[in-house]
Amino acid sequence: MKNSSSYTAIAYLFLAPALILMGLFTFWPVGYNAYLAFNDYSIAEATATWNNFAHFKYLYGEELFHSALKNSLLFLLVVPVIQVSALLVAKLVNNKLPAMTFFRAAYYIPVITAISIAGVVWLNVYKYDGILTWFLQSLGLIDEQVNWLGEPKIAIYMVMIFTFWKGIGYYMVLYLAGLQSIPTEVEEAAILDGANAWQRFWKITVPMVKPTILLCTLLSTIAALKAFQEVVVLTRGQADTYTALYYVYAQAFTNFNFGRAAAAGLVVTFFCVLLAVLQFRFFGEKK
Amino acid sequence: MSKKATKALELTGQYLGLIAFAIFTTFPFLWALSVALSEDPSNIWLFPRSFLPTDPGWAWFVRVFNEIQFMTYLKNSAWISLCTIIGTVLISVLAGYPLARLRFPGRGLIFVGIIATMMLPSEVAIIPNFVTLKHLGDWSTALLGFKLTGLNTYSGVYLPTVAGAFGIFLMKQAFEQIPQDLIDAARVDGAKELQILWRVMVPVSAPSIAALAIFTLVNAWNEFIWTGIVIQDKAMLPLSVGMFNDLTGPFAVSTSMVMAGIVLSVVPVLIFFALTQRYFISGLDGAVK
Repeated sequence: MKNSSSYTAIAYLFLAPALILMGLFTFWPVGYNAYLAFNDYSIAEATATWNNFAHFKYLYGEELFHSALKNSLLFLLVVPVIQVSALLVAKLVNNKLPAMTFFRAAYYIPVITAISIAGVVWLNVYKYDGILTWFLQSLGLIDEQVNWLGEPKIAIYMVMIFTFWKGIGYYMVLYLAGLQSIPTEVEEAAILDGANAWQRFWKITVPMVKPTILLCTLLSTIAALKAFQEVVVLTRGQADTYTALYYVYAQAFTNFNFGRAAAAGLVVTFFCVLLAVLQFRFFGEKK
Repeated sequence: MSKKATKALELTGQYLGLIAFAIFTTFPFLWALSVALSEDPSNIWLFPRSFLPTDPGWAWFVRVFNEIQFMTYLKNSAWISLCTIIGTVLISVLAGYPLARLRFPGRGLIFVGIIATMMLPSEVAIIPNFVTLKHLGDWSTALLGFKLTGLNTYSGVYLPTVAGAFGIFLMKQAFEQIPQDLIDAARVDGAKELQILWRVMVPVSAPSIAALAIFTLVNAWNEFIWTGIVIQDKAMLPLSVGMFNDLTGPFAVSTSMVMAGIVLSVVPVLIFFALTQRYFISGLDGAVK
């Protein structure tokens, strides 16, 4: 039999590839990003020079970054909407009626489609003479054609609808797993007692899937704060649709100001970690 | 109202809701399909008429194959995804085993460290990783005389993604469920740890490995931002980036062709999804708890 010290060597040998790659591409970036945030970085010479918090002073005063942060917070509106809808939809497909597999698949298709490909279709849906304009016109809600992604007041909400469309199937599947752990007897007993669908949903379903609701809320809150791929695909930041991470992305790869981008990224990281810690606290208390 | 009538009404309402929502999630693709199949594009902005093809035919698809390097992008997507899957599975299996089954100093700390990375916004790592990759490329050119990894290489695309908390966590969970007797029996027979891992643990955990492979495939296939930054050579781009660039750039003028390109890009995903559906819809049960 081997002693424990030889296990230690083997354990670290097995862990080595993961630790080296994570060290290089996950942990190192945290430190390096923080370093870049306090320096002016020259891409051509690959040199960094200390600049006495200049990036943070700049960000503190810049309108664009403020509106980007505001939009990222606004994006949190997606969270309650997508959670309630996903739970309702999961409830609807969680039964043994015919064609349920078809409906589940139909709701999941946006999740497995590349965001870039799905975005190109939605660019056309949002065109001034596209489907959305037609749909609202035929309902009599609007008279004029609207360029949905070009109007500063509404464009960010259009991006949010796209996020909702793309993500709901993902949360539906998580809720399905939670719903399937509820014994059917509970609901049957409630039906016998004369509870209607609305009462059963709020009095039985919601309390019993609470752990899943907390998990999904955490996931979608962080996802909402990190939203930016949809902006890259749909608007490229036009019409007041900068989000915090889109600002980071645009500063880095459009303006090539790595230092300022890193500083903005540090601010976003701070918010994400703060939020995660708060929600973990919340989780802990519930358990 | 009788009980039967109430039941029928509830059922109708349920199906109406399901159908309405299915229309919401699929209408962009249905429209894209209809536009792509319409050889005569005059009706594509005329709703609801455009949901039925005018002059149905394959002409736009033929043009996509002729004018866009669709097959090149498809081949690149397949190659990048394959490398990502092999790397992710290998690294996750290797790292999951000691974390689940071996006692050694530092185990708890390493596990917490790996899980904690889930909190960090990985998008912020894009800039440091870009710089790191540029250096790695320069060093490998200087030392080896060729670019082993770096900007504009496939390994630059997948190396930063293959070691992730999700995969390691998933494999650790799977390995923890295997009875200790199986491992002890193998040790008594004189098996080395690598043999135990390969001959005992891996075959028994095949469903979890399959689930990890499938999720990795979907993520790798759809990856868009990082790949677009690393790969500069147009002939090396995968579908998610190449088609997006072409369809929003030089070909954007022809909506019909854009939609044909969209349909062609979505079809491989749909086929794959149809084959592995049960992993998506029910395979997550274990991962959630």
